[in-house]
Amino acid sequence: MTLDHQALFGAFLSPHGRASGPQGHLVRAARLDGVAALAGARVGLLWNTKRNAELLLVELGRLLIEQYGAEVTARQAPYAHAVPLDGPDLHSLIDSCDLAVVGVGDCGSCAAAAINDGITLERHGIPAAVICSDAFDVTARATAEVQGDPDYPFLTTPHPIAVLAETQVVRRAEQLLPGVVARLIVQAEGAAS
Amino acid sequence: MTGPRRLGADTPEELGIVQAAVEYAYDQDWSDGLPVVPATRERTDAFLATTDRHPDEVIGRLEPLRREVTVETAAVNAVMAGCRPEYFPVVLAAWDALMLDPTTAVGAWQSTSGPAPLIVVNGPVRERLALNGGGGALGPGFRANATIARAIGLLVRNGLGVRPQVFEQATQGIPGRWGMCLAENEEESPWEPIAVDGGLAPGSDAVSAMLVRDTEFVDNRHTADPEKLLADLADTLGRTGALIFEHAAAGLVLCPEHAQLLARAGMAKEDVRRWLADHTRRSVADLRAVGKNGLTDLGGRGVRVDRPDEERSGEDRVFATDTAQHLPILVAGARNAGISSVVRLFTSWPRISARVESCPADVPVPLSLVDPEVEA
Repeated sequence: MTLDHQALFGAFLSPHGRASGPQGHLVRAARLDGVAALAGARVGLLWNTKRNAELLLVELGRLLIEQYGAEVTARQAPYAHAVPLDGPDLHSLIDSCDLAVVGVGDCGSCAAAAINDGITLERHGIPAAVICSDAFDVTARATAEVQGDPDYPFLTTPHPIAVLAETQVVRRAEQLLPGVVARLIVQAEGAAS
Repeated sequence: MTGPRRLGADTPEELGIVQAAVEYAYDQDWSDGLPVVPATRERTDAFLATTDRHPDEVIGRLEPLRREVTVETAAVNAVMAGCRPEYFPVVLAAWDALMLDPTTAVGAWQSTSGPAPLIVVNGPVRERLALNGGGGALGPGFRANATIARAIGLLVRNGLGVRPQVFEQATQGIPGRWGMCLAENEEESPWEPIAVDGGLAPGSDAVSAMLVRDTEFVDNRHTADPEKLLADLADTLGRTGALIFEHAAAGLVLCPEHAQLLARAGMAKEDVRRWLADHTRRSVADLRAVGKNGLTDLGGRGVRVDRPDEERSGEDRVFATDTAQHLPILVAGARNAGISSVVRLFTSWPRISARVESCPADVPVPLSLVDPEVEA
């Protein structure tokens, strides 16, 4: 007896679930035109409850003010680290900023949430720089694929972050700053992202 | 012959088909690592026949991953897990019970802590399905226990798409994840079943489910003093390694011997909880020594952090309350030794048990393989 295994096993039902809704279109917000445009730009900071996330983002905000003349107009109140931004929280952020810095994706669920938030903000016209730790690169990339933007660029910083002392977090912010700026403005051709 | 000829796997050639089918499922990345039973339409329909719920009813959703699962998705995964059709109402109730924990909708399945469902079944359905709640209740060896728990795992993996090292980011994982389903030993428990704590009437067919991070044994078989036994339990409950937030939550799976000893001393479950909540404490000095004396206030939850210069002293209580939300208690195991388990909760128990739908007594169990040559 010769059997066509593919034909036979094609009768097995797939155990996969289904999409919970239509996948969003690939939409990236327009970047600001060069670093000069950062002057006066309103930067929204969206931090999660992971230890040192608030400190890192507040420090990045301070550097954007000091070095580029940006304004930090929204410091989103901490929200549960795994819950994607939605509803009034999302709209209050969108209404009060031109750019956003999101992070830190440093756990299984909050890395996914950070990417979701970044892509959501982009779809609402807000360019976002999302920061994840390098331990969650795979989760972050898989989340971007699920959301229909598989090449969504995000920044990584070495894990761990939660154990860093304040001075080390400040140093991390300084190291991340060029990448954050590059994510928020139109770059010269050939520049690294 | 009318209808398809059923294959008995009684020749080497036909056994080869079975083996190829198992390999096919591996090739599709449908397995948790162990062989799965192929889910045919016929067998899946036998599972769906055990419930009045519509196959398209959405029973779970994971918005961050844009996935949702239906009654039929659950049936397919339950077939693959090796369940019998009559187990399916318990699988659905276990899933319902887990969905009552709000963390399952946002991040529990993806967490670095990799929490495992502890599924507890009450009521006459335990006997109908031969669900073990006696010797080895937390261990392997019983089809209903093993496959119901596994069905939940396959539904998370295949249905919601939470695969290890992609969306499932458990740092080390937990032995027994997708393997902990037990009957409560109601017959040897001095107290009401846990489903009563979950809001259902005694005698109900019910499932209670909680996400746990470990099981730790407490072996104490040589004292008849209830306070000494409780103090031994409190020591494990107060372990600093398990403290992350200001307060912790943990369940007790008491063996019949321990539960009966406490009941003979006049203690109800509430009394046991009260004693343990009052006595499970850690000194701030102990906490300082392990870098957990400080408390941040993030989103209303105090997270324990290292504050070497903090001058606080005294003791911290481990439990926020003495309720079943933070200290659920059930009875399981053999009455052959004083060995109980502490199960560390991922967050807390929602205290809502799910009813098991009644199902016909005799569900036909179709064979999975049909000879395509005959069927064609």
